[in-house]
Amino acid sequence: MIYSAIVLLPLLGALIAGLFGRLIGDRPSEVITTAFMLIAAGLSWFVFIETGFAHDATKAAIKVPLMRWITSGDLEAAWVLRIDTLTAVMLVVVTTVSSLVHLYSIGYMHEDDSRPRFFSYLSLFTFAMLMLVTSDNLLQMFFGWEGVGLASYLLIGFWYHKPSANAAAIKAFVVNRVGDFGFALGIFGVFFAFQTVSLDEIFRQAPDMAGKTMNFLGYDVDIMTTLALLLFMGAMGKSAQFLLHTWLPDAMEGPTPVSALIHAATMVTAGVFMVARLSPLFEQAPMALEFVVLIGAVTAFFAATVGLVQNDIKRVIAYSTCSQLGYMFVACGVGAYTVGIFHLFTHAFFKALLFLGAGSVIHAMHHEQDMRKMGGLRGKIPITWAMMLIGTLALTGVGIPHVGGFAGFHSKDAIVEAAYAAHTPGNYAFWLLIVAALMTSFYSWRLMFMTFYGTSRADHETYEHAHESPPVMLIPLYVLAAGAVLAGIVFAPSFIGHHLAEFWGTSVTPDKDIMHHMHEVPEWVFWAPFTAMVAGFGLAYLFYIAQPELPGKTARTFRPLYLFLLNKWYIDELYDFVFVRPANALGRLFWKGGDGAIIDGTIDGTAASVGWATGKIVRLQTGYVYHYAFAMLIGVALIVTWFAWPAGIVK
Amino acid sequence: MIIGLAHYLTLAACLFTLGILGIFLNRKNVIVILMSVELMLLAVNLNLVAFSAFLGNITGQIFALFILTVAAAEAAIGLAIIVVYYRNRGSIAVEDINMMKG
Amino acid sequence: METLAAFAPALPEIILAAGAMVFLMLGVFSADNARTGVFIGWLTVLLMAGVAIMIGTGGAERVELFDGAFVVDAFSRFCKVLILGAAAVSLMLSFGYFERERIMKFEIPVLALLSTVGMFMMVSANDLISLYLGLELMSLALYVLAAVHRDSLRSSESGLKYFVLGALSSGMLLYGASLIYGFTGTTSFTALASTLQAGEAAQNLGLIVGLVFLLVGLAFKISAVPFHMWTPDVYEGAPTPVTAFFAGAPKVAAMALLLRVLHDAFPGMLFQWQQIIVFLSVASMLLGSFAAIGQTSIKRLMAFSSIANVGFILIGLAAGTQYGVSSVLIYLAIYVVMTLGSFAVVLAMRRANEMDETIGSLAGLSQTNLPLAVAFAALLFSLAGIPPLAGFFAKFYVLDAAIKAGLTPLAIIGVLASVVGAFYYLRLVKIMFFDAPGEAFTQAEPAVRWVFTLSALLVTFYVVYPAFLLDAAGTAARALVP
Repeated sequence: MIYSAIVLLPLLGALIAGLFGRLIGDRPSEVITTAFMLIAAGLSWFVFIETGFAHDATKAAIKVPLMRWITSGDLEAAWVLRIDTLTAVMLVVVTTVSSLVHLYSIGYMHEDDSRPRFFSYLSLFTFAMLMLVTSDNLLQMFFGWEGVGLASYLLIGFWYHKPSANAAAIKAFVVNRVGDFGFALGIFGVFFAFQTVSLDEIFRQAPDMAGKTMNFLGYDVDIMTTLALLLFMGAMGKSAQFLLHTWLPDAMEGPTPVSALIHAATMVTAGVFMVARLSPLFEQAPMALEFVVLIGAVTAFFAATVGLVQNDIKRVIAYSTCSQLGYMFVACGVGAYTVGIFHLFTHAFFKALLFLGAGSVIHAMHHEQDMRKMGGLRGKIPITWAMMLIGTLALTGVGIPHVGGFAGFHSKDAIVEAAYAAHTPGNYAFWLLIVAALMTSFYSWRLMFMTFYGTSRADHETYEHAHESPPVMLIPLYVLAAGAVLAGIVFAPSFIGHHLAEFWGTSVTPDKDIMHHMHEVPEWVFWAPFTAMVAGFGLAYLFYIAQPELPGKTARTFRPLYLFLLNKWYIDELYDFVFVRPANALGRLFWKGGDGAIIDGTIDGTAASVGWATGKIVRLQTGYVYHYAFAMLIGVALIVTWFAWPAGIVK
Repeated sequence: MIIGLAHYLTLAACLFTLGILGIFLNRKNVIVILMSVELMLLAVNLNLVAFSAFLGNITGQIFALFILTVAAAEAAIGLAIIVVYYRNRGSIAVEDINMMKG
Repeated sequence: METLAAFAPALPEIILAAGAMVFLMLGVFSADNARTGVFIGWLTVLLMAGVAIMIGTGGAERVELFDGAFVVDAFSRFCKVLILGAAAVSLMLSFGYFERERIMKFEIPVLALLSTVGMFMMVSANDLISLYLGLELMSLALYVLAAVHRDSLRSSESGLKYFVLGALSSGMLLYGASLIYGFTGTTSFTALASTLQAGEAAQNLGLIVGLVFLLVGLAFKISAVPFHMWTPDVYEGAPTPVTAFFAGAPKVAAMALLLRVLHDAFPGMLFQWQQIIVFLSVASMLLGSFAAIGQTSIKRLMAFSSIANVGFILIGLAAGTQYGVSSVLIYLAIYVVMTLGSFAVVLAMRRANEMDETIGSLAGLSQTNLPLAVAFAALLFSLAGIPPLAGFFAKFYVLDAAIKAGLTPLAIIGVLASVVGAFYYLRLVKIMFFDAPGEAFTQAEPAVRWVFTLSALLVTFYVVYPAFLLDAAGTAARALVP
């Protein structure tokens, strides 16, 4: 009952706000959806505590059947909610952030004139995300997967009168399709290999499948590696990993609360969740896991470098998200799934906090997002400043090794340690993550300094009218700030520490060795991220407070490098050259040549003959009863003759 | 000559065909169509009764009785509709019933 | 008392028939005005709903009554609930229309109720005599309903045409029945089946001719080509709510009767009737699809659309398997929802108390009445068979059944016909969304708005929970074809 309520309340809210929003008005729509989300969030915490802290290492997942869905041959899929610790963690993350974002949006969107639609989309998204995380079979997961994609599309393009928002929405949709194509192929493959899409059944059979091959297009391929790679392709799209990341920064065209909910805390982490959920499957595919580590580490590094030079406050945070997702994948790839999920958990708090804080800044500056036109805001919006500061401290991972610190410190440093303990070739994952940590610290502090310190670069009027946000927007910030401070130190023992086994139960299969080794790395490894963090802060202070002319000089000196980073490694341009233009050219060829000449010709011809036939048939319908009777008679005669002929009666 | 089943059936078939021809050859009066329908039903009844007698089985006669009853109701409804039509159109010529076509 | 208790399985029919009598008396002794009509109309809807609940919650085992002439089983339950639903919804749609046209008489719901009793009889018929009685009870009431708008030339012409051709078709059906009786010595379906299983009987040409005539009579009721000619004219001429009624419940009843006759009485002649059904199916799909393109009246278009849909339903019947039967039942259920929804849209096409049922009047509907345009678009996409809407699954099941039964060519023709069909459905969507708008329609009454909204939602979200319909149709099909 509780479980169904958590999942279905958002759907109910979405339906009420979506269908009857205009009828019941803006404010009731907001209140209803937000109240439902808050109830769902409360229930989720209850479930989380009940499930995660039951002190039972062998507990099995609870199954809550909702209804039957598809039964076709071997394919059986039902709507079932699967509740175990992994799900409970995700439930908490999704409903908490979502309810806070709902609350925040009441303030942030108060000038918008289609608020019921906005809240309906938000709730719809939450429902789809909950379906995803509670899925008991791959088909339901795919339903949730596509559902969040749809809701994300709708929300990015929420301000549909802005061409850039529409373009960003379409881009997100298309890039995600590439990943989803892999995911769908993966599901087909799983069904092909296992004859089922039920998770339990797949996990049971997975060990037997390891090392077996199947024939694909004449090649013998390793089943588990192929399946894991295909499924991971879906995760890359959804979680904006390197090469499929291009949609995420553009998605910032959507309203800021959307960015906080979808593009920081929940949807983009679906890929990480999926890898953790399917960990028994990935465990049988070591090669695929190596690929996961490689992609994760490269993404963490790449996104951090681009984040260094961005000027749009939301884009900086977007690239930061991209980078942190890379961290999570590295953790999953080395077998430390629980560490990855832990980072997902803490990251949700502080990244949502940063986004909502950025939203508060943008709100104060009358929808100005360019940091070059900010500065000196600390005195104007002190609460927002304090909240952003907490978020930054958490993101950069401030804390003392062996003692404790902000949320990000516990989870991120654990990932770095796991990466070291995993012994990748040349320790590349470890070093990339360390460098990324340095850059994370740099761009985070750069954001703080450019926005809140120095003298204002905004025009006088905007600066004078900058004002603190209303309480309805600040309360979510307080809650998230509390999470950003405490989530690490409170939950670390359960998630990745000594109580790990009884906390997670059977929901994920952590690699026991790595969880053990990561606590026994050399002492300097513990201090490496700390050093990187301090160094990043120092550099940022030097560049933006001590010597404000230094950034310009550096950019001029290393102009090619600067442009390379500013243009995001030219990946969009590369895609434009390699995919978009040839596709356009091909399309034009088909359109002009194939479509215009051949198909249109044929179709026009067909259409003409259809018109001719239609005319004849319509003329048959004369309106005279005796003609109608005659037609019936001819029909009878035809049928009787058909049978009489072979019988030899009619010759 | 002994009148056997075949004769009854042939007679019924002729009556039936006459009824059908009456429906689609007649261009003048709708009442004729009603009569033709009655003729068809008569043919069917003849068939049923003949079979019934031939088979020594009473079902056919019961069927015939039901048909007679229903035919009466059908004729009543048919005449009522024709009256309504005549009020609107001022004619019950079959040729004139073609306002809707295509 | 025990004798009376034995009639319990026929209680739905008894209640409906008695209800019709009571309402008739009630109407005769009340003031002769529209309020009486609407009051009795709602009473009828309530009665139908009550009976539907009674049937839906009742037992599913097979019971034979009246010396085997009347049978109640899971199949008849499924069809009866569908018939009641279709009849009740189209009645609800009718009140506003008839009031505006000033012809809201209490006879209308009573006639609808009587024809529903006839349909029940058809669905439960297990003997040629009960088949005929049910069919005539339904048809006689429908003839009157078609002509119910006494001052409209179109309405009375449609009633007259329907009557003349209907009488011809029942004459043929009876002639066929008499031949079947003569060559087998029985009218009971059960006895027919066992006689025909015996062997040589099925090769008798007289019997085959009898079967052909019987099928012709039934093909007329489902308006299969070439026995369809009445359909467009009657659909166009009859008052729109009556047309909605015609398009729903009677189609289900006649199709159910066809299933019952072919599977219960003539399983031994599968080879023969399969050929007839294939012929009817191909002719209906092709003619329905092509003729619909040339129409300018939306009611005529719906008539040809129903002909094409009947062609598709016959594909499932031609399969001659249990799966085929369940696919037919699923198709019928989805078809009823789509059709009633579409007619609700047609009923909403009204400007200043003047119905405008030309296709052109839909132009630019999306700009003047977006909810109506979206609902109609959903229904049209579904009718065109575009996934993931319900209409796609309906077509999918019948085609799948045909292919599994080895009728691949028929399935291919079906797909081609649905391509042509998609053209005229999508043309309507194009007109609604891309043409320059005309004057807005008057706000429709609540019943009409509810029906088109709900049916659009049903066809859109059928995919979320298809299991309910699949299960029900599967159970019903198992009762008919073991």
